[in-house]
Amino acid sequence: MANVTFPFPFPDHLITLLPEMIVAVLAMTLLLVDLFISKENKIWTAYMAVITIVVAAIATIQLYPVGSIEAFYGFFVFDPFAAFSKLLLFAATAISILISIDYMKDENHVGEYYVLMLFAMLGMMLMISATNFIILYLGMELMALCTYVLVGYQREVLRSNEAALKYFILGALSSGMLLYGITFLYGVSGSFDYSDVGAALHATGNASDPAVLLGLVFLLAGLAFKVSMAPFHMWTPDAYEGAPTPITAFMSVAPKVAGFVVIVRVAVDALPAMQTEYMTILTGMAILTMAIGNLAAIAQRNIKRMLAYSTVGHVGFVVLGVIAGNADGYAGILVYLSIYMVMTLGIFAIIILMRREGIQGELLDDFAGLSKVRPGYALAMGLFLFSLGGIPFLAGFWAKYAVFIAAIEAGHVYLVLYALLFSAVGAFYYIRVVKYIYFDEARVTFEFTESRVMQATVAITAVAIVALGLYPDPLMDACKAAVVGLI
Amino acid sequence: MELHNVLDFPILSLSIFLPTLGALIIWLFVRGDNAVRWASLIVAVATFLVTLPLVLQFDSTTSHMQFEEFHHWIPAFNVNYQLGVDGISMPFIVLTSLLTVICIISAWSCIQSRVKEYMIAFLVLETTLIGVFSALDAILFYFFWEAMLIPMYLIIGIWGGKNRVYATIKFFLYTLAGSLLMLIAVLAMYFKAGHTFSLLAFMDYPFDFTWQFWIWIAFFIAFAVKVPMWPVHTWLPDAHTEAPTAGSVILAGILLKMGAYGFLRFSLPMLPDASQYFVPLMVGLSLVAIVYISLVAMMQTDMKRLIAYSSIAHMGFVTLGTFMFTQAALEGAVIGMISHGFVAAALFLCVGVMYDRLHTREIGDYGGVVNVMPVFAAVMLFFCMANIALPGASAFVGEIMVLIGTFEAAPAHLGVSAMWIAVAAATSVILSACYTLWMYKRVVMGDLVKDSVKTMKDMSFREFGYFVPLMILTLWIGFYPLPVLDLLHVSVSHLIDQVSTSKLDAAAALLQAMPAAEAAHH
Repeated sequence: MANVTFPFPFPDHLITLLPEMIVAVLAMTLLLVDLFISKENKIWTAYMAVITIVVAAIATIQLYPVGSIEAFYGFFVFDPFAAFSKLLLFAATAISILISIDYMKDENHVGEYYVLMLFAMLGMMLMISATNFIILYLGMELMALCTYVLVGYQREVLRSNEAALKYFILGALSSGMLLYGITFLYGVSGSFDYSDVGAALHATGNASDPAVLLGLVFLLAGLAFKVSMAPFHMWTPDAYEGAPTPITAFMSVAPKVAGFVVIVRVAVDALPAMQTEYMTILTGMAILTMAIGNLAAIAQRNIKRMLAYSTVGHVGFVVLGVIAGNADGYAGILVYLSIYMVMTLGIFAIIILMRREGIQGELLDDFAGLSKVRPGYALAMGLFLFSLGGIPFLAGFWAKYAVFIAAIEAGHVYLVLYALLFSAVGAFYYIRVVKYIYFDEARVTFEFTESRVMQATVAITAVAIVALGLYPDPLMDACKAAVVGLI
Repeated sequence: MELHNVLDFPILSLSIFLPTLGALIIWLFVRGDNAVRWASLIVAVATFLVTLPLVLQFDSTTSHMQFEEFHHWIPAFNVNYQLGVDGISMPFIVLTSLLTVICIISAWSCIQSRVKEYMIAFLVLETTLIGVFSALDAILFYFFWEAMLIPMYLIIGIWGGKNRVYATIKFFLYTLAGSLLMLIAVLAMYFKAGHTFSLLAFMDYPFDFTWQFWIWIAFFIAFAVKVPMWPVHTWLPDAHTEAPTAGSVILAGILLKMGAYGFLRFSLPMLPDASQYFVPLMVGLSLVAIVYISLVAMMQTDMKRLIAYSSIAHMGFVTLGTFMFTQAALEGAVIGMISHGFVAAALFLCVGVMYDRLHTREIGDYGGVVNVMPVFAAVMLFFCMANIALPGASAFVGEIMVLIGTFEAAPAHLGVSAMWIAVAAATSVILSACYTLWMYKRVVMGDLVKDSVKTMKDMSFREFGYFVPLMILTLWIGFYPLPVLDLLHVSVSHLIDQVSTSKLDAAAALLQAMPAAEAAHH
């Protein structure tokens, strides 16, 4: 089946898990190796973690041509959709690790930090490939437990503790809701498999069964929590503000990728019979999410909180791709998430660069006059912000375009009108940051962290945003190819 | 890349991207303010020279698009890089490249901080403006239309006056909100017209009336904000007042024309029935702009604000002419836009010259300027007269043609005779004389009483230099508009054909044919 050959005997269907196995084994090894790395040299742990990801990425790319294969009797699937999402995940995690290094130097630099990120990534990989609710739950918990710890990583900082505790309590609640929803679906269908649940619901044809509806509602509530969809977004601003900035970057990208893949898979495989109900609930949440995210962002003075609400707003736009429910919509989700990842990581890299010796550099005021002090960073920041606002020649425009056109194709014109209204609102708070950077005089003088890795990250993401803005075709093609066979 | 043009050379692409390429080189390699100024001037002049063959090689006997270029851009959504110009769009490209040269010269000494960024912003702006006028793909058009916001936002926000932040955010949000509606209209047309974004395909596709109605409204909001038409004009006085001189020049000279150009390129040919339907609305709003905004202009104490309001009033003439659907009125509207590009630009430059000396725009702070700046007073008088549309000035040609066209039009369904519309519009001639001359009198004439005014020095050679081409062009079009009219003639009559041919019959036929075709398919 696969055109990948191994020098040693390897069970055929396990090949689909190769990337997961690589990450699991190497991450555990790294945990041991890290014991022998001295505190000053923890940077090597980081680099080894990145190498782990690179190896997993190579394995995924090698497997990409095999198409769609299932393992463990349909518990787990490797298909182009999963492969593409995992590659996004790898990129997000690797960049988050790279931008962590300089941040962590000022902190309690321990190797577990990087290993936890790897395990969180592993959890998300399982979520992406899961075609069974139990595997989904396992993956989600693995991710969640690692991220609770990472958010509260700065033990001596009060707001980090507070954030972690809030995130943990609400996260545990949402996991409970998810599990509760799953039990209902199990009760109706007698199976945890997405496809069995789908078949059972289709066979009974009883979509208005209260048990099914309850299951659906609880399931969606749990998933909505992970992707910060309103009204389950309350944890987002606090967790984002309190977490170490690289973890904020990581959390604003990676779990969103995994969460949306799950939402799409559940819609396509498990609940096609409940399409109307599923979409109605999602539409309601999308309407709420776009409004809350974009309006609340206006009131923020802390850029991490602002970006938290902006994430909520963007999630509202991405949901349009799910609601569209067609191939263009699913491809649009991937386009959106890819571009969103690049912009967000670039912005966070700059925020991290501004933090040095006790000064956090997180308030909007801190950006005042940046264009005179550091024109290069100011330009990159300006590009990211205009891109987040969806202004063309920058990639953010195509992200919105991809999901909007799919939603219109599916007939949701009013919803797109509504989304456009809020993307105009969104543009307001993004260009307000540009105002601080370009129009205001500097108030605080910053000593910027000088780091080659960070500067390279900023430069690469900024160039990528312009390049994708001018020529988005390769990305759009790749995303279209990734969703072939999904429906 | 497919080229269909007489030159066998992608001249439109070159005109679009030469400024950005130049900006890139300046950004990377040019150091020192003066070097940046000269380099930008060279780039701008080179771009102007590149756009000249568009006029010289233009074939005015055909309404087809010329100098066409075609290249696949995003095949997944059938978005193409499709360029081409006709008699309506071509003059604006040349006007853009000319005004950019003048803007860069005018910024020579008054922009002292961040010269490099300023010049780069202007050159990038030129790219987006030329792009808007040459795009034949709706997404490409939108792409340039929106991208324009970034450099303009920075130009007003960084180099503007005291209240610049408020003005530039207002400008940005107004325009963005308007154009997002345009995006949705374009996407709707994409699905309706069979998965294409080609403007030419949109012009041919028979949209039924309901579609035309809603799409027209979406376009209307986008374009009305840009023109700007009453009552969505309020961003303009703020933006104009706070923008640096060259920013006002490009805003009045080109940006306002984008809205009117949108009507000519999208609303009229693509949605002829809706355009006919909405004539009363357009006429009403245009007359409000002409009469009411002229009165508002009269009461301004800030010179730039006054000229900004005068711009809105003059654009009212343009939208009026656009929606009369007669040869004379439409040609008058286009001439009016071109002429306004010279005259309003020159008036803003005049204010800029005074502002550079006294750093105030208040009319009350001046008086008796003629005593210290005689040459300047003459130049300003010239452009004030042109603003009033005195015979011999380009504005006169535009306004008289719009008035003649309005008399001819007599649209029966208006309820009012065309004559009364023309009469109401003609009050503009009196009102514009009132506010322009009154301002001139208070600023330039009178005795020299203020000490600050006594210190003013007359224009330098460089300052005088950038008025000369504008004067020549104003007079030339004023006395001998025939060459420009020749360029327009065929394209405008084709446009009138398009707007007077109803698409409803074809739409009904298509609706009839559809079930039959589907039945045959099954």
